[in-house]
Amino acid sequence: MFDKILIANRGEIAVRIIATCREMGIRTVAVYSDADADALHVLEADQAVCLGPSEPAQSYLNVDKIVAAAKETGARAIHPGYGFLAENPAFAQRCDEEGLVFIGPPAQAIRDLGDKTVARRTMIESGVPVIPGMMSPESDPAKLAAEADRIGYPVLIKAAAGGGGKGMRVVRSSDEFSDACESAKREAHSAFGNGDIYLEKYLEQPRHVEFQILADTHGNVIHLLERECSIQRRHQKIIEETPSPALTPSLREEMGETAVSAAKAAGYVNAGTVEFLLDKDNRFYFLEVNTRLQVEHPITEMITGIDLVRQQIEIAAGKELTLSQEDITGTGHAIECRIYAEDPLNDFYPSPGKISYLREPRGPGIRSDCGVYSGYTVPVEYDPILAKLITFAATRQECIQRMIRALRDYAILGVLTPIPFLVDILSCEAFMKGETYTDFIDTHFKQWEPVIKDIDVVGLAYVIDQLSNRKIRTVSTLDEAEAYSPWQTLGNFRP
Amino acid sequence: MNYNLKIGALDLAVECTLNDNGTVSASVGEQNYEVRYRVISENQIHLDLGDSTVNVFLADDPMGRIVNIGGISFLVQDADALAQNNVRKKGRKDLPQEVTPPMPSAVVRVLVSEGDHVKKGQGVIVVSAMKMETTLVAPFAGHVTKINVAEGDKAMPGDVLVDIEKDEEGPAEDS
Repeated sequence: MFDKILIANRGEIAVRIIATCREMGIRTVAVYSDADADALHVLEADQAVCLGPSEPAQSYLNVDKIVAAAKETGARAIHPGYGFLAENPAFAQRCDEEGLVFIGPPAQAIRDLGDKTVARRTMIESGVPVIPGMMSPESDPAKLAAEADRIGYPVLIKAAAGGGGKGMRVVRSSDEFSDACESAKREAHSAFGNGDIYLEKYLEQPRHVEFQILADTHGNVIHLLERECSIQRRHQKIIEETPSPALTPSLREEMGETAVSAAKAAGYVNAGTVEFLLDKDNRFYFLEVNTRLQVEHPITEMITGIDLVRQQIEIAAGKELTLSQEDITGTGHAIECRIYAEDPLNDFYPSPGKISYLREPRGPGIRSDCGVYSGYTVPVEYDPILAKLITFAATRQECIQRMIRALRDYAILGVLTPIPFLVDILSCEAFMKGETYTDFIDTHFKQWEPVIKDIDVVGLAYVIDQLSNRKIRTVSTLDEAEAYSPWQTLGNFRP
Repeated sequence: MNYNLKIGALDLAVECTLNDNGTVSASVGEQNYEVRYRVISENQIHLDLGDSTVNVFLADDPMGRIVNIGGISFLVQDADALAQNNVRKKGRKDLPQEVTPPMPSAVVRVLVSEGDHVKKGQGVIVVSAMKMETTLVAPFAGHVTKINVAEGDKAMPGDVLVDIEKDEEGPAEDS
């Protein structure tokens, strides 16, 4: 086993990885940029190495500096977290060449699965169902239009190099098609430096259902059940849950087996996620494989009782999985909400700034994966995720109720968060009924405003706070002479 | 004590008397309240409203004070204190010389047009963050030469939203 691991990431995920390392008796090295000198992951790690300027290219994305930091500190393995270098095959390969263990899949698997057309071909060859669409990217408008007619409208335009919804367009008729292609190409080019696009059939009202995979270097592959991540805003997941309200035991088994086949077909090792779209008729289609630990991995940990980071580390150290598929059972229900510094009433615009006060919710079945603290200034340079709140309960209904309670108990002051928005989503009838499709936000929360109750209490609280603070100050001055304080009387006992 | 509060776009008049026994008698608009309160820390007070209790979290903000109840943050401003501050700031040299929002905001309303003459301290633009509306004022008397944003636009601190050309003569309004 490794003595020391470098974590090439920041924020809540770095803190979460450090926690498992510490439990395993592994020392940790944090890396940070100038903007992150006071970040929580730096405070939590055993050692910290400054990478340099805040720009990601000069710090968290700088392979040379990260490799040098690992060598300098004697870390034998690197955990990339999610984002930054997590799905960069060149980084995984470089680690290999430098004699460092990359805690993730082999470079070749990242490369193959990162190229969506290669991934798609691999899946088709191994009998994994894919969404009807093109086998290779195309830039000729006439050929694209012909493909769109072949697939049949509505079609979805996607960027070959993309992710995160960049360059994606839904086109419902042929007269919108050429304009949509042009704008998708431009967006893909500016986001990824590659304007190649391809088309696939657009599914109406699908659910996003993904399966967690664990694969060791000895050829064993298992799945750790599903996560439903249909609640998305602009293709970014905001609420995830497991089990999916849509899956029956037989469908779960079938999809799980397919996910395992997909991972095997790709030569996958370590933790990964096979994403599917599930349509109204319970047909499922391969979407992509995420070759990393997912943001939403905690909900799987809650229902299976398995620490995914520990599994990742053991797999990377060459150990054989001690779990078999029969060992994996889900108990209860788990939900995760992502807490970003953003303004839900201002188009979810980032809201960086100083967290003047933070109180995390507590109680049974609540897990707070938090990367910030009271007094911390959220930098403008990076993804504004602050924390993830996870609740766990026996049933879906209890789990929803617990999450609503926990969100209402969450006090984050100084930056804006989507907490009121999340509470309203979880409280709405469609969510309660499990009618969670990827168009959920557009359907139910396109125009959202919080219902403001208790405004009187807000005003009262403000005034009482003002008046009582003034009173406390007065009282403490008046009573100073008579006040009993150990620090005052201590003097008398000094020899 | 009487307070005129601004909570987002809402105006709230609160009349409040602190009693010696840890209670307050208050009226908010037409509604009367008897509230027992406890100060837990500088960031938390506990209110007992008789039929329910509530934990309130508070913190200072450059624009006012943040009051958080049930996971929702409100920016509360004291309208009277704001007015006083404006008066006091008028004499200060470090008064911002540009019309720029203090935090990332959206433009709600533009109150002036190009060519208008504005007095020092006159509201020129209303911005909002989390539905908390703030009026940005003219830092000096002058003519509006250019309006750089439209309603609905995003604005970051440092963005100059309205260009104002300063009057040649001294600010007669202030003396």
